[in-house]
Amino acid sequence: MNNASYNDSSLFHAALPVEDHRQDHHAAPPTSPAICKLGMCIFLCSEALLFSGLISAYLILRQGAGSWPPNFGDGIELPPMPKLLTGINTVILVGSSFAYHFAEMAVKKGKSGAGWLLLAAMMGATFVGLQCVEWTELYHEGLWFNKGGVYGSSFFTLTGFHGAHVCIGVLLILWCFFLQVTKGTFTPHRHVALDNVGLYWHFVDVVWVFLYTILYLDRKSVV
Amino acid sequence: MIKTISRDILNKRTASLFLTTGVFLASILSAGVASAEERSGNVYGLPPCVTTTGLQVDSIIKIIFWLTALVFVLTQGTYIYYLIRYRRREGVPAHYSHGNNTLEIIWTTAPTIVFLALAIYSNRIWEQIHVTAPENSLTIDVSSYQFGWQMRYPGISGKLAPMDVRKITPQNPFGTDPENPATAQDVICTDLVIPVGRPVHVLLHSRDVIHSFYVPEFRIYQDCVPGRTIGWVWFQATQTGDFQLACNQLCGTGHYNMKAPIHIVSEAEFQKWLTPRQQKNAALVQPSPIAAPSPAKAASLTDRTEKNTL
Amino acid sequence: MSASVTADSHSTHVPHDSHGHGKPGIMHYLWNTDHKMIAMQFLLSACFFLLFGGAMALAMRWQLAFPGHSIPVIGHLLPHGIVNDEGAIIPSGYNVLVTMHGTILVFWVVMPLLIGVFGNFLIPLKIGAGDMAFPALNELSYWLFALSGVIVLSSFWVPGGAPGTGWTAYAPLSSVAAYNQTPIGQSLWCIAIFINGLSSLTGAVNYITTVITMRAPGMKMMRMPLPVWAIFLTAILLILAIPVLSAAAAMIVFDLNFGTTFFRPSGYGQPLLWQHLFWFFGHPEVYILILPAMGLTSEILAVFSRKPVFGYKAMVWAMIAIGLLGFIVWGHHMYVSGMNLTLSAAFSVSTMVIAVPSAIKTFNWMGTIWRGSIHYTVPMAFAVAFVSMFVIGGLSGIFMASTPVDLFVHHTYFIVAHFHYVLFGGSMFAAFAAVYFWFPKMSGRMFNNTLGWIHFWMTFVFFNLTFFPMHNLGLGGMMRRIADPTVYDCLKQLQPLNVVCTIGAMGLGLATIPFVINMLWSSRNGPKAPANPWNSTTLEWTVSHPIPHGNFTVTPTVYHGPYEYSVPGLVRDFLPQDEKAPAHITLEAH
Ligand code: HEA
Ligand code: HEA
Ligand code: CUA
Ligand SMILES: [Cu+2]
Repeated sequence: MNNASYNDSSLFHAALPVEDHRQDHHAAPPTSPAICKLGMCIFLCSEALLFSGLISAYLILRQGAGSWPPNFGDGIELPPMPKLLTGINTVILVGSSFAYHFAEMAVKKGKSGAGWLLLAAMMGATFVGLQCVEWTELYHEGLWFNKGGVYGSSFFTLTGFHGAHVCIGVLLILWCFFLQVTKGTFTPHRHVALDNVGLYWHFVDVVWVFLYTILYLDRKSVV
Repeated sequence: MIKTISRDILNKRTASLFLTTGVFLASILSAGVASAEERSGNVYGLPPCVTTTGLQVDSIIKIIFWLTALVFVLTQGTYIYYLIRYRRREGVPAHYSHGNNTLEIIWTTAPTIVFLALAIYSNRIWEQIHVTAPENSLTIDVSSYQFGWQMRYPGISGKLAPMDVRKITPQNPFGTDPENPATAQDVICTDLVIPVGRPVHVLLHSRDVIHSFYVPEFRIYQDCVPGRTIGWVWFQATQTGDFQLACNQLCGTGHYNMKAPIHIVSEAEFQKWLTPRQQKNAALVQPSPIAAPSPAKAASLTDRTEKNTL
Repeated sequence: MSASVTADSHSTHVPHDSHGHGKPGIMHYLWNTDHKMIAMQFLLSACFFLLFGGAMALAMRWQLAFPGHSIPVIGHLLPHGIVNDEGAIIPSGYNVLVTMHGTILVFWVVMPLLIGVFGNFLIPLKIGAGDMAFPALNELSYWLFALSGVIVLSSFWVPGGAPGTGWTAYAPLSSVAAYNQTPIGQSLWCIAIFINGLSSLTGAVNYITTVITMRAPGMKMMRMPLPVWAIFLTAILLILAIPVLSAAAAMIVFDLNFGTTFFRPSGYGQPLLWQHLFWFFGHPEVYILILPAMGLTSEILAVFSRKPVFGYKAMVWAMIAIGLLGFIVWGHHMYVSGMNLTLSAAFSVSTMVIAVPSAIKTFNWMGTIWRGSIHYTVPMAFAVAFVSMFVIGGLSGIFMASTPVDLFVHHTYFIVAHFHYVLFGGSMFAAFAAVYFWFPKMSGRMFNNTLGWIHFWMTFVFFNLTFFPMHNLGLGGMMRRIADPTVYDCLKQLQPLNVVCTIGAMGLGLATIPFVINMLWSSRNGPKAPANPWNSTTLEWTVSHPIPHGNFTVTPTVYHGPYEYSVPGLVRDFLPQDEKAPAHITLEAH
């Protein structure tokens, strides 16, 4: 129970070297790692509810549309979702979670782990890149936020929300990478920020697996 | 600290006194207000009720009114009694108690029973109100838009021309098929004219945003949702008279004034009103033998009605 | 008496005043991670919004009582989207007022008051912690709140003006520019709600983490004061409810600006989808607004009855039940929305069930004052009134919970009466009680009693005068959100009642004057408050003013539950939580 102690640590700052917090005689040790991780987990609960809201909206709209892609009776054929390309992309994203995990393992063993971090970030970036390619292709096939009714709306909004999360995740991983390369911030005994970014990153991956399943794989979607 | 407390002792008596008067003031006020607004002899201040289903609604309002009134008097009475009885007195310490489990069980189960009974009874009436509209009912298509109402009555054939909510556009406000000869036979007007004593089944539509079909005297409220047909509202008027249909869902600038006249008239008067209009429309178009709605169209209407029930 | 410090002993511990280093400059007030300072920031902002949102209500009331008459004195000062050249409110302006009044009072007054102020101020002090788990995040929460406030206010000045779609912003009115004519204002509204939500979430992460991990030794969960329990549970509700609203608000922004069709039938979107998402958030939201109020009141009732809270455990479990059940009743706002009728019936059952924990709480409040030694002070008066008003509001809720009754009263002034009884008579009364109760701890000074009593009596009387007749208006058939009731024949005869409500509202407005004066004047000039003016048992009263950064010089140890009042055999009638009971005394288990 850490009480009368306090400092200005936030979710991420807690992992900065202790010296940073010792500018005045007053500061106590950083908030303990367990507390930081708990905070992150609670935050991720709310993220989970954000995606639940979006996903249930998608399911309700899909249910109400009758067929999927919906038939607007205007003779325009709406493109199916590219399962294969995105499947590969899914593997890449999940792979990056593993890379991240190896980075954490390395740090805990006293190694740098920076290489794994960079790999994880690159795989995340690749995912975003491929996703952009897919977006452009669908755009040319006549699907966009404002085209294809709820089919387009929900697809781009859901993947868009997720994509934004991936982008933030990539930035966070890069931030960890630079901290590690320049300052060697993370040691076997101090790696809260690394853990928290990891929690976030794994969460974003799990969400993607759900999204991939319902947006692309679900039986009813056209091949 | 001493000073504050002694000041508070002064306040003590007056406070309890005032508090009592305050709460009573509120109840007296409400009673006064209620009786001042007494309408058609009921204490609830309800407007007159002119539908059969409305009577059922009123009956449960009365039950809940008396139930809550009883709870109100009992709880507030006890509460005020405690507030006065147990005000701070020199030399009388408070009773040291952390609670009583038996009491907790009692006041958990008792309300649970009351509430569940109420829920079951409510839902029984809810079901009765929403049974399918009787066969002999008059079907009227009620279409709402920013900011007004339009009604569509069946033409001479006695059947409304089929419509599809997806076809509703400013040019085709009812979503009917212009090719279909039955379409031109429909009688369209802006007043809701209703025969007394005959069940009336209204199909609620909206052309833009959500509006609502609200008639206090009918005890009916139902939203009209764009893109859907709401087909479960029906009622049977018990007396003639003029009323107003109100839109009771915020729908934009003109919402406050989105109303339509309602006339409940005798069956004879109703026929006198409707038949000439039907005949006029019938004269305009050559009645054709294939006026019956194509099965596909009819199906698409029911499709939409059911599919969108979230 | 371990860590308890007497009024003058703080001279022994000169606090190194915060991280501001040296003299408090402007930055000291703008970026300060101390939880007590953040509470003050929330308090001042919420009071500003209270006056603003309340003033809008007064304008609305004027229009309802005297439709089309220009507002005296200030009518001409109001912006042109709201009033015409004569200074009378125009219908679209009325819609804007209703919308912004509801939105601001819910998101920018009651939430910051109950959660921002008392969550921040009380949680660390009451559980014996030095600060929140993440102080910087805490300050971020305030500034997100402030930013969202600026955005929501700025919508008044954009082309098209502020939105007039109600605080519930039903789609497709809110999601199609052609229908609402205020696409920019509506988008800003959504963005403000989104950012306000982020602020609530950062706050909630902090509260939950702090309560779970930073309790002083001996402070078991079941020894936590009820306000801490209440705000802890509220924070959990925030975590689960807010993100759904954020997602929905984002969809409205996309519909308005990017051409998506989530709520537009022409693209197979569904208007009712918005309502489901909104009320999935909205119903937990109303419990978010009442749970902290219940927690704060429970404590104040116990302190001034000099009795332990009756049924502490039942109180906690009732709040947990309210929190859980709160997520399965949202459909009671949609009985007649076009939702499946069987669903309505199901929601009716769950709604009835959720009234049970409220009943438990009501009876336990009565148990708390039963055989007490009730000590009437201003905070006690507000707490006592809270219970009465909450019961009235709750009982009207039972009407609407019944599906057939809702068929008639839905969207009428009966609803308006209901939610003002629970929101003003409930949440706001509790907030007033709490502000008075903790004023000595926040400011170090006592408030002025006379002004306090004037405030209480005016508020109590005028509150009932304003909102009780609204039940009758509603049963008389008066619709909500209409700018001019006299356009309906059946409502013309109810007009005198509208005048009564308006007179009451004006009185309520006047009632805030003694309050504001009292707070401003007493926090500088009031008599110095002792450390524990109410002889309370909880930990915040063991620290003296000014409360040092880090709160406790010695981490307190907690020996028993929070409300040991009038324990037989003790000299004093209260036993602080950090004081061991003498060996010969056994405390009753709660
Ligand atoms: C603090 C906020 C708050 C609280 C606590 C409540 C509490 C309750 N509310 Fe309320 N409600 C709102 C805020 C709140 N509400 C708002 C803001 C709206 C309108 C939103 C809008 O449309 O803009 C609304 C609307 C609303 C509706 C929708 C009405 C409509 O639009 O048609 C319904 C319907 O069921 C409802 C029901 C209830 C019930 C059953 C309770 C129950 O929890 C109450 C339980 C309490 C008691 C019952 C009293 C104490 C109990 C006893 C003394 C025991 C004995 C009693 C009996 C045996 C009867 N509320
Ligand atoms: C906690 C929430 C809360 C509170 C405290 C209030 C307080 C008040 N509300 Fe509130 N109200 C809502 C929440 C609240 N309301 C909500 C959610 C809605 C629904 C909105 C919707 O339909 O979308 C609503 C709707 C609503 C309506 C219905 C409008 C309609 O449907 O057409 C009315 C009508 O009378 C009303 C009146 C009042 C009044 C008179 C007060 C009074 O208590 C206010 C008292 C006044 C003050 C406290 C301010 C004092 C100010 C001054 C003296 C001026 C000084 C000014 C400056 C310095 C700037 N409110
Ligand atoms: Cu249409 Cu209100
Ligand atoms: Cu609710």
